[in-house]
Amino acid sequence: MYETRGVSTRALDGVDLCIDEGEFTAISGPSGSGKTTLLNLFGALDVPTSGDILLDGERLGDLSPAALSDLRLRKLGFVFQAYNLIPVLSARENVEFVMELQGVAARERRERAESLLDEVELGGLGEKRPLEMSGGQQQRVAVARAIASGPRIVLADEPTANLDSATAERLLGLMQRLNDERGATFLFSTHDPLVMSKARRNVRLHDGRVAADEKGPGA
Amino acid sequence: MLVLRLAWRNAWRSPRRTGIVVTAVAVGIAGTLLSMAVNFGMLFQMVDTAISTDLGHLQLHAAGFDADPGLEVRLRDGGRASLAVLETSPDVRSFARRVRGEGLLSSPRSRAGVRVVGVEPEREAEITLVARSVTAGRYLDGEPRRVLIGEALAERLEVGVGDKVVLSAQNLEGDLTGEALRVAGLFRTPSQPLDRGTVFLTLEQSQRLLGLGEAVSEVVVVAESRARIADVDALLEQRLPDLEVRTWEELEPLLVYMVDVFDQSALLVYAAIFIAMAFGIANVLLMTVFERTREIGIMRAMGLGRARLVATIVSESLIVTLGGVALGFLCALLGVWALRDGIDLSLFTDGLRELGVGDRIVPVLRQSDFTAPLAVAVTTAVLASAWPAWRAVRQRPADAVRHT
Repeated sequence: MYETRGVSTRALDGVDLCIDEGEFTAISGPSGSGKTTLLNLFGALDVPTSGDILLDGERLGDLSPAALSDLRLRKLGFVFQAYNLIPVLSARENVEFVMELQGVAARERRERAESLLDEVELGGLGEKRPLEMSGGQQQRVAVARAIASGPRIVLADEPTANLDSATAERLLGLMQRLNDERGATFLFSTHDPLVMSKARRNVRLHDGRVAADEKGPGA
Repeated sequence: MLVLRLAWRNAWRSPRRTGIVVTAVAVGIAGTLLSMAVNFGMLFQMVDTAISTDLGHLQLHAAGFDADPGLEVRLRDGGRASLAVLETSPDVRSFARRVRGEGLLSSPRSRAGVRVVGVEPEREAEITLVARSVTAGRYLDGEPRRVLIGEALAERLEVGVGDKVVLSAQNLEGDLTGEALRVAGLFRTPSQPLDRGTVFLTLEQSQRLLGLGEAVSEVVVVAESRARIADVDALLEQRLPDLEVRTWEELEPLLVYMVDVFDQSALLVYAAIFIAMAFGIANVLLMTVFERTREIGIMRAMGLGRARLVATIVSESLIVTLGGVALGFLCALLGVWALRDGIDLSLFTDGLRELGVGDRIVPVLRQSDFTAPLAVAVTTAVLASAWPAWRAVRQRPADAVRHT
C-alpha cells in the first residue's frame, strides 16, 4: 500500500510468486501495474505493508534498514533504467564499487573488474568516465557491476528503455550469456517486447495482480 | 578510501560552485589573518618598545618597591649582591643598575616634570635602544654634568645640544636640590612618553642629586632570549629571596592583557565569519545532495550504508572548507611576506608613538594564529554538512532511484 497525501493506493494485491535460482524472468504490464513496486520489494528497497518476501529463507520484512542494506550488498545486483552509473567514477571503479563496499582487496577488485569489463566487451574502456561512453556501453558497465559482487539475483528495471533496438538486443544477449555461463538469476521489469521475447518466463501484472505467468519464448 | 575518493571527486564536480565557496572561505581567512597580523605586529612592537626602552626582561628591586616605588625603597648595597648572581648566570645576556626619581627640568624659556633616570652608560646601551636612538649630539660618555633628553622634551623646553638646563628634585631626605647641567644629546625612540618626559644622566650624577649615596633603585636584566626569562626569574627568586624579582609581564600587565584580549577577539571574529559561511556551505551541499538524489539512491541500493554516506558528505564539506582555509593561509602568508618591510604609518606617527609603536608596523603571524581558524573551520564544515547529510540518509532508496 502506498499513501500519498492521505490517499491509499494498493500497488500490489495478492501477488504470490516464486523465483527459482537461475531464472531469466520478465515482469511486464502496463504503467501502474506494479512492476517497479514488485521489483523494489524483491530488491529490498521497499518493505511490504502486508505479506512476506523471502530470499534464501530470510524474511525481508523482519530486517532492519541496516540489515537490508547489507543484504543488498551481499545478495543482490541492480541494473536501472538510465543514469545508472556513478558519474565521478571510471567504468572500472564503478564495477569495483560494490566489491569495495564488500571489503575485497584492491588488487583482486581490479583484476575482477577488468575481467568483467572484458566479459561485457568493454576491455580497454575501463578508465573512461560514464559521460564519455554511449548509453549501451554504460548499461553494459552496469551489468558488469551488478554481477561483480556475485549476487544471488540481478534485478533490472527497464534496462533497455533508453537504448536503440540493436544495442538493446546486444545487451540482452550479454545478460543471457551471463545467465547461461554463470547461472546468475535475472529478473526484469519491462514493457519492452524484445525483453519479453528473450525471457524464459514471463509474468504479466495488471492492477497489482498477476494476470499471467507463463513460459517465455526464450525458454 | 572509497569515501574520500567519492568526496574529493564530488567536490570538484562543479568547479565553479566549489571555487566560489573555496574563494569565500579563503578571502575570509586571509583577510582576518592579515588584519590580526597587523594588530599583533603593532602589539608586539609595543611590547618590544616597552622592553627595549625601559623594562628589560626582568627587574630587581628592594622589597616593598611594588607597594611604594619611591626613593626610600632602594638597593642599599648598590645592587652588588645581585650582580654576583647575574654575572655567573649563562641565561643572562646583560644587566645594568639604575636610579629612578622624579624631577623638574627647566630651561630659560620653559620647564617640565620629568622622570630622572640615572644609568651606567655602557651597560645601559646593551639593555635599551636609547644609545642607538641619539639623533643629535652624543650619548652619555662619562663627561660630568651632562644629560640626554628626548627630541620632544627639547622642543618643549626650546633647548638644543650644548644648552644649559637645571634639573631640580626632592632628594632622599625630602630636601629640594638642583643642578645645572648641559644637554649632551637628543634622542628619538618609538615611545613618545619616553621622549617627552625622561632625562638620562649618569648613575653617579643621579645618586649625588638624589642623595642616595651608593644605593640604586633597580637592576634591569636582559635574558639570552624571551624563552629563557622564566629560568632567569626562577634563579633570581631562589638566589635573591630578599629582593622583588619582576618579569616585564608583571611590570606591565596591561600589555599582556591586551595580547590576551586580541587572541580572544580573533577567535570571536573567526566564529562570526564561519557562522556566516556555514550557511553558504550548507546551502551548496544541500543543492548537491538534491541534484544527486538518484545517484545517492543507486549507491544506497547497491549497499552503501548510512554511515558511509554521511562520511562522504561530511568529507566533501571538509575538503571544500579546508581547501579554502589552505588557500586563505597561503594568501595571508604571502601578504605578510609582501609586507615584511613594514607598513609605512608615518602619517599617524605621533598618535602611534604615544602607544610605543614606530613609523612602520611589520605584520606578525605566529604558529598559534593558524590553530584557531583551522579548528573553527573543521567544526563549521562538520556542522554545515550535518543537515544535508541528514537529508540524504532520510531518503528511501526506492524513492531516490526513481528521482529525475
